[in-house]
Amino acid sequence: MTNDVIKEAVAKQQSGDRKLAADNSILGKVMTFNIGDQIYGIEIQYILEIIGMSHITKVPHVPDYIKGIINVRSKVVPIVDIRTRFGKPEIPYTPRTCIITLDFNDTSIGIIVDSVADVEDIHTGDISAAPENKNVNVNDFIQYMIRGENGETKLILDVAKLLDEQEA
Amino acid sequence: MAKIESGMEAMLDMYFYETNSLLEQLDEILLRTEQANAFESDDIKEIFRIMHTIKGSSAMMGFDNLSVLAHKAEDMFFVIRENPDVITDVSFVYDLVFQVSDSYKAQIEAIQNNIGGEYELMNFDDLIDKLIKARDKLNSEASGETAPASEAAHAASKSEPLPVSDGKTSVRVFFDDGCQMENLRAFLLINTIREECSFLEFYPSDVETNGESSKEIVENGFLITFTAHDGKDGYVLNLIETALNVQSYEILNEPVDTAPKAEETAPKAEIPPEPAKTELKVEKPAPKTEPKPATPTDASIEKAQAAVANANAQAQGGAQKQSLISVNLAKLDALHDIVGEIITTESMVISNPDLEGLELESFNKAARDLKKLTNELQDTVMSIRMVPLAGVFQKMNRIVRDMRKKLNKDVDFLLEGEDTEVDKSIVDSLQDPLMHLVRNCMDHGIEDNVQDRIYAGKPEKGTLKLTAQNASGEVIITVSDDGAGIDPDKIMAKARKMNLLTKPESEYSIKEIQNLILLPGFSTNEQVTEFSGRGVGMDVVKANIEKCNGTIIVDSKKGEGTSFIIKIPLTLAIIDGMEITVGDLVFTVPISTIKESFKIEESQILRDTGGNEMIMIRGICYPILRLHEKFNIDTDVTKLEDGILLLVETDNKSMCIFADKLIGEQQVVVKPFPKYLSRYNIKGEGLSGCTIMGDGSISLIIDTNTLIG
Repeated sequence: MTNDVIKEAVAKQQSGDRKLAADNSILGKVMTFNIGDQIYGIEIQYILEIIGMSHITKVPHVPDYIKGIINVRSKVVPIVDIRTRFGKPEIPYTPRTCIITLDFNDTSIGIIVDSVADVEDIHTGDISAAPENKNVNVNDFIQYMIRGENGETKLILDVAKLLDEQEA
Repeated sequence: MAKIESGMEAMLDMYFYETNSLLEQLDEILLRTEQANAFESDDIKEIFRIMHTIKGSSAMMGFDNLSVLAHKAEDMFFVIRENPDVITDVSFVYDLVFQVSDSYKAQIEAIQNNIGGEYELMNFDDLIDKLIKARDKLNSEASGETAPASEAAHAASKSEPLPVSDGKTSVRVFFDDGCQMENLRAFLLINTIREECSFLEFYPSDVETNGESSKEIVENGFLITFTAHDGKDGYVLNLIETALNVQSYEILNEPVDTAPKAEETAPKAEIPPEPAKTELKVEKPAPKTEPKPATPTDASIEKAQAAVANANAQAQGGAQKQSLISVNLAKLDALHDIVGEIITTESMVISNPDLEGLELESFNKAARDLKKLTNELQDTVMSIRMVPLAGVFQKMNRIVRDMRKKLNKDVDFLLEGEDTEVDKSIVDSLQDPLMHLVRNCMDHGIEDNVQDRIYAGKPEKGTLKLTAQNASGEVIITVSDDGAGIDPDKIMAKARKMNLLTKPESEYSIKEIQNLILLPGFSTNEQVTEFSGRGVGMDVVKANIEKCNGTIIVDSKKGEGTSFIIKIPLTLAIIDGMEITVGDLVFTVPISTIKESFKIEESQILRDTGGNEMIMIRGICYPILRLHEKFNIDTDVTKLEDGILLLVETDNKSMCIFADKLIGEQQVVVKPFPKYLSRYNIKGEGLSGCTIMGDGSISLIIDTNTLIG
């Protein structure tokens, strides 16, 4: 989803026009997954598949969060541990741990997540923009947020940033 | 400047491929026949066909200048085809056609380099002028014999009554001269009037699919027989008249009683096997007696049989050429991946843990058969990517021909081992280097003065040899001449002048001196000629060859000649590797770099003042590199005597690498690291890629070059 769509959705919610504010059309779908207590999401158009944990071949000379590479049906895919990437402590992998492979502009990576939660619709009325001030939190990879029915917030990752980040 | 018509981009690739291969074919015919110094009639037909196809496809793509050029060349060959004896001055025809072929290549390259943007529209007026003059000249020489007959034939065919069925209207439609693609225009016309007609037949009936039918239409017009709804014939005729590019039409009103079936087959018999163009004065005499469809004469039957035989012959000839198909390389890669996947899955099935402890006699037998087949499949897929070097070698033939003329040097050009096969990607990157080398040999290698050769006791005629051979996983290509050779003193002097020397002069060996000529900017030629002397060539050669993991060596003896020896791997994608383990990681070391592997005793290890480990083998001291330290891997094997040492060598640099143990030899498919990892300096640190092994796990391929460096 482009940033413009997000802005428009946010603008609609805040506009005085009741009709616009009541618009709750579906903008797309996200797949949500858990890392610790937090729910994250990735828009499904970027997702190739979900696979169970398999043996990861380590690669030297890369940052810690790149766990190595795996063979996904004859394609070599690098694996990023989202926990480590977001600066959270590593936990041992469980049977629920899995790898989500993503593709963006022909670059693919797999990310390790604690568990996959659900696939759900994105409604215009549920979207919140990510805070502007980047210095306060580590939210570089958050494109926007979705407010869930039970008040929980799901952070939607910016796949482009996740894949294209420049080494700091 | 011009732009490619929108909507045509998708077809460009196909156009380039087709046109380029046709031009190559043309060059090949020209070179072959030039040596024999005569055109065979088959060759002329072939050239004619090539020009015609190029004309058609260029017109379709909207490249008008190319289409006109091909058209004029076609015209000229038309005259030659009809009167094979008229060529008195063969070389003049060759030069013209070579010029046409070159102009084509230049223009196509210009277009190719600017896809989506503007390209330079080349002006071929001069060449076209020449072609027209040549045609007229040939024509006037030939016209004495044939013109009258053809005029008569032409007239006859014009006034020929054509089959018309009762109650139906037949028209013969002519399109504007030179409007091109007549068959498609005819097809459009048919579509326009189809709605209005209750009965509709047309000839040629295959206009939609057969490009050759446009010739037919140009010559004999496009025949339509129709019955309009409610007798509104006039309305349909009006439609035909106003249709795009229709020049004129005539209504054929001599009714002939014929069943539609006969009608469809009959006109085919009327057509001469090779329709001639009306715009040319010289024309093949058309059959004067037009066969009546219902009662075919003997002549028409013969004619039809001849036409069928001719078509069959062409189809056979065509089938032979078409035993080759062009496939996108990406599809081959995909196929390759799938095969790899199948093999991996196969081994997962066959050695599945669930099967353990079971009596599986027939399963094992079936599994063995499967394994055999998949291995065969894999070999076949690998061999698909291999193409013979002949194509590249043929191009060199052309270069030698041109230079022979321009430089006025008499040279024999020998080709050996053209059928040696290498990976497609390598063939492509070999073309430039070979071209430079051949030019260099022609220009610098072979002596300018024949007297010099005679004094040196060599035959007057120089020899240039291009050979290729397979040798243990490598292809060795040699370009050699028997010319003056490289003078080490001259090279040294030049290198001194250009400050290219990196160590004292006395330390340079002859071999090293000779290889100085591969440095950028190095040229001993005093004069910059059309062909060489700027000093860029050899540098390009070296860079290109190194790009495909090859090496080049100069071997020359003053006064005896020079050889350039190029060694390249058969394929970039597959290497013979030795699998080694370090900790829980598997590495693959290219076998070509391994000299030997051995175990050592603690006592053999030497240490320098920095504590670096070294080992002495047969009087030479090699440094030891511990892979687990280099790549930061946890392993239990840290004592040198517990593991194994591999002595590796590349580019005359050697070292020993230390690993836990050897697993064995395996052919592996090299895969690059994923794009996402390209920002990290993995490749610079001794790893060149990775490979997927039989059991589906990944092994990292060691690049001894960067590992040592």
